[in-house]
Amino acid sequence: MPQLKKETHTQQSILADYCRNGIFPEGLLDINKDNLHNYRRLCYNIAVDVIETAYPIAFSFLPEETWNKLLSEFYSEHKCQTPQVWRMPLEFYDYCLQKNICEILNFPFLNDLLYFEWLELDVHTMEDIQYPKTKAEGDWLNDKIALNPEHKLIRLSYPVHTTAPTEGLLEKKGDYFLLIYREKDTGNVQFVDLSMFYTYILENLMNGVLLKDILVEANSIFQINDIKLLKDRSLEFIEDLKRRNFVIGFTA
Amino acid sequence: MSEKKYTGIGFRKDFAEELIDSEVLKPSFIELAPENWIGMGGYWKKQLDKAAEKYPVTCHGLSLSIGSPDALDVPFVKQVKKFLDQYKVKVYSEHLSYSKCDNAHLYDLLPIPFRMDAVKHIVARIKQVQDILEQPLVLENVSYYTPVAAEMTEHEFISAIVNESGCNMLLDVNNVYVNAFNHKYDAKNFLSKLPLNKVAYIHMAGHEQVSDTLIIDTHGQAVIDPVFELFEHAIGLVKPVPVLLERDFNIPELEELQGELSRMDSIISKIWKTEHAAA
Ligand SMILES: [Fe+2]
Repeated sequence: MPQLKKETHTQQSILADYCRNGIFPEGLLDINKDNLHNYRRLCYNIAVDVIETAYPIAFSFLPEETWNKLLSEFYSEHKCQTPQVWRMPLEFYDYCLQKNICEILNFPFLNDLLYFEWLELDVHTMEDIQYPKTKAEGDWLNDKIALNPEHKLIRLSYPVHTTAPTEGLLEKKGDYFLLIYREKDTGNVQFVDLSMFYTYILENLMNGVLLKDILVEANSIFQINDIKLLKDRSLEFIEDLKRRNFVIGFTA
Repeated sequence: MSEKKYTGIGFRKDFAEELIDSEVLKPSFIELAPENWIGMGGYWKKQLDKAAEKYPVTCHGLSLSIGSPDALDVPFVKQVKKFLDQYKVKVYSEHLSYSKCDNAHLYDLLPIPFRMDAVKHIVARIKQVQDILEQPLVLENVSYYTPVAAEMTEHEFISAIVNESGCNMLLDVNNVYVNAFNHKYDAKNFLSKLPLNKVAYIHMAGHEQVSDTLIIDTHGQAVIDPVFELFEHAIGLVKPVPVLLERDFNIPELEELQGELSRMDSIISKIWKTEHAAA
């Protein structure tokens, strides 16, 4: 038998609904009507603050009225699921995807922008991942290359990571690949722009494939027909990632 | 031997680095919201671990929503339990309010109707939480700006919950002050009606008076003198427990925060030492 009476539950629901949608409610019993608005204000401000902090670029780019309407609709329509408010911006991104907000607002790059901004936050805060055991000595082609495990490799349709949404972003629709990783010592998030070829190599390295085997495959896929060039470029790429502390040695 | 210190401070990202190496601010413990740290890695996890190595940690949760009509979020409580174990947290407190309703988190504290059916409902939920945590829940009297559908007084509501559930109480002195002002009752008289023998933890904080008739509990200002006075009165009525200064916004220089801690320390040493001597 539930102990809470239906009427008490309803009172709680009315107040909570008001906090979410801001429409002054009928039916709350024995309240101080002058003070009630503070609950809507306090709840809504928290949600707005968390989202605007997570998505500073989208926030400053979208027209104020559009942005405010979007946030207001989100908080009222969406039932926030996470008990951890700092993770709630991910629900905002999901909401925008599901509601197809980028098409409704006619900002086709909005999904990419929100995704990129979320990932910056996510990679910075994500749970620590155990680093693999490594050794310093080895051969890039024939030994398993060890990578910083705290990373994400993503594909974007608009270069939101290099171009401000104000200009020219629409004309630059294409395939963009981005490595996002967290530096071990500082915890800083770093970004590396990748070509499709380097992305292919990296994806395979992440799956533990040896570089020499990747190159054989790559040769047939990308039809470069210059195995030396392929090898030199790949080794330069690995050396570059080593300087960036993303390649951390060889798997021990 | 130096005197035992009871005062701690909320661990905020705004001054986390400063606090870890601070020669100025010297709390005897730090308080943090588990929700802000569970599952977090990277830079902030390192800061948390450093702070937890230096100071004992108490936890003050945000999203338990003990007064929610919804079913208890058991997986969440289990995550909290794991966190408490990991950082050897002995005090886990929460708010006697609700912040989730009909499957939606609101991220702020709403007032529960002061009603007997709500008491029964919450008592059952407290027991459920305590069974998972294997430690008593410590519940805080919250500030509120309007009652909703009340059928009993605030102190009757709090007392019934504490007495029937066996939970402990977090006495927020500032909230008593704020509510006494907002709802026009006498703070000391209100205190005398609470189950003060169950107080396991105390909060002190600043607030903002926004009109002639309303104070908002902001945690963004210094503690005002009347709240210090009420504190002096209140701690004379309870056994020695940890006392926490809440400062969440508008963070001043650490000297200023230490000044507030020291002022609480000196009141405490006056009151609790004599209490001890008499015991
Ligand atoms: Fe408090």
